[in-house]
Amino acid sequence: MSNSQIETYEARIAALEHRLRAFEGRLAPPVSRTPVTEYAERYGLLVAWGLLILLLGWYRPDQMFAWNSYATMFGSTAMIVVLTLGLIIPLTTGDFDLSVASTMGLSSMLIAYWNVRMGWGIEQAILMALVVGAVIGAINALFILWFGIHSLIVTLGTGYFLNGVILWVSNSGPISGVSMDLVRAVILTRFLGIPLSFWYAVTLTAVIWYVFQHTALGRRLLFVGRGREVARLSGVNVVQVRAGALIASGTIAALAGVIYTGMRGAADPSSALAFLLPAFAAAFLGSTTLYPGRFNAPGAFVAVFFLSTGIMGLNFLGVPSFVQNLFYGGGLVVAVSISQLIRKRRPMD
Amino acid sequence: MKKLALTAAAAALCATPALADLDAARALLERYSQLPEFTPPGPAFDARACMADQSIFVIGLSSANPFNVAISQGMLEAAGHVGFRIRDWETQLDPSQWVQGINTAVAEGFSLIDLQGGLPPEFLVPQIMEAREAGVLVTSTHNWDATTQEVPEFMDGAANTDYVTMGEIMAAWAMVQTDGQVNALVLGPDEITPTAPLRDAIIGYLRDNCPDCTTSYINVPFNDWATQMQPAVQNALLADPSINYVLPVYDSMSQFIAPAIQIAGSNAKIVSFNGTPFVLDMLREGDIVEMIVGESLGWVGYAGVDANMRLLCGLDPVGTLNTPAYIFSKENVETAGVPASYNDGYGDSHIAGFKALWGVE
Repeated sequence: MSNSQIETYEARIAALEHRLRAFEGRLAPPVSRTPVTEYAERYGLLVAWGLLILLLGWYRPDQMFAWNSYATMFGSTAMIVVLTLGLIIPLTTGDFDLSVASTMGLSSMLIAYWNVRMGWGIEQAILMALVVGAVIGAINALFILWFGIHSLIVTLGTGYFLNGVILWVSNSGPISGVSMDLVRAVILTRFLGIPLSFWYAVTLTAVIWYVFQHTALGRRLLFVGRGREVARLSGVNVVQVRAGALIASGTIAALAGVIYTGMRGAADPSSALAFLLPAFAAAFLGSTTLYPGRFNAPGAFVAVFFLSTGIMGLNFLGVPSFVQNLFYGGGLVVAVSISQLIRKRRPMD
Repeated sequence: MKKLALTAAAAALCATPALADLDAARALLERYSQLPEFTPPGPAFDARACMADQSIFVIGLSSANPFNVAISQGMLEAAGHVGFRIRDWETQLDPSQWVQGINTAVAEGFSLIDLQGGLPPEFLVPQIMEAREAGVLVTSTHNWDATTQEVPEFMDGAANTDYVTMGEIMAAWAMVQTDGQVNALVLGPDEITPTAPLRDAIIGYLRDNCPDCTTSYINVPFNDWATQMQPAVQNALLADPSINYVLPVYDSMSQFIAPAIQIAGSNAKIVSFNGTPFVLDMLREGDIVEMIVGESLGWVGYAGVDANMRLLCGLDPVGTLNTPAYIFSKENVETAGVPASYNDGYGDSHIAGFKALWGVE
């Protein structure tokens, strides 16, 4: 795709956003936005992250200001970052994928099953798990786009279906003894003191950021998400873009499953499902920062670690576990609400 | 002079730090390292005669849980030896399915309903009362602790487990391995019925028998195991690097704890209870899980059927399952199978023992 084509898409998106703002302006009075407001909106979460570290560090300086604490947290939270990155792609095109956590769980279980029970090489098992993730995305796309069913319904259904497949494959039990090569490649090997899982998440964040911000494909994804009909009339193959986004989310969710398996050297039939809410929380929280109003990779990355830092600090303070739920749920709603106040309560995209 | 000597002796006694009771701990471990032997839970009886017109309906916590499946299999096998009607009701951790199971058992005229393997009867009191009014006995197998918890009055009986001993074995192991210098992180889901006796037994044993041992406890609810357990453990290990044992009350928790120990760069070991096959595999193949206290679930199934038959036959009730604890370590874990199973490694003395007791040899 040439630069001129990218510029054409940029111009079309700008025109579309201008029209949308004009439409919103007729419904509600336009708001004045100062550079300070924009700055606060863009970097608010980063500032809040810093303040959170300082606040918790006030009570537990030995742990909160120790590099090892962050190295450990970065390594162990990587699969949530990857899962969130998978999720924001269809969210950008306006589709929900509620099956990502199930896809992650199935990928994890298939790797363990093929590697431990069937004796496959770990590379082969990983490759096939990624293919399965892509196929799940394609099946979601088929039902959403060909049958015209809302993505919430389809992916809720396929997620439940996959949960059954996981129980069937695993015979309802965990499988341990996955190749140590994978464990070494995920958590036992460190770079700058941080397990490699983190660096995989950093790399994927950078790739998705680049695609979203600097390629015509990224512009098309956003264009489709902002207005499908306008995008279609502008010559964008909306079906192809939405299908591609769903296939990408399935594949990346499967990659999250690879990392999750490598973290434990084992797979179990249910635990991956618990990461659906944290991934959605990070996706929405991330959409309030760096590129406010858009699901964006660096924002999601920051959001995951903002929430994880809070949890880590609460652990150090020795608070009961229910407080962590309060922080996760409450933190999301409060942070997004503050962001909305800064945006003068403009409706979220 | 005599008074002076006594005073000096008393002072010396006070000055000597209290020592951990390592001998008692070693004796406890020695006892439960022996292959389990069958101890009759009661006198022999003619099971075929008294069960001729009786039937049992088994409802497990979840048929997707291999733990419940293994207990049910033991029950079906035991019923097959005696030759009475038994049905295992399939559920998926769904209370509506438990209710449906009780209603079906009543409608089809079963004599006894057994809520096995952690299904909380407290959630089903109206249905249990209804079943009892219809003349069906309602019991529970492997749910409450035999010594510290009471069976509610709305139940006709329950065959319980000695969780206190299980917890004490875990604590004794850590104590012996560290020569009385345990710094243990204990974890459990407080909302699960057996957690309290296990947790209190571990912490209480170390408190009462090991003056230099310390413990801390974290409650991680079952639904939050995947998301909260790993950060909780790794942050506890970062906050206190001297923690040398992590003692989850159920061994399935190990899958989230082992990566936390690895990522935190800790040398802490895991000791736990249950004998879940994949954790026994972790014990065999890795170096983080060090010991598991197991119990044969097939044996639990036989013992549950024995208790139910005694209740139906009007014999003295059995309050405690006679399933013994058994220690799996690196030395003997291969006897549990490769890969491990729920029933291997414990011997099969219970099969011959129960058959002789029931007169069906």
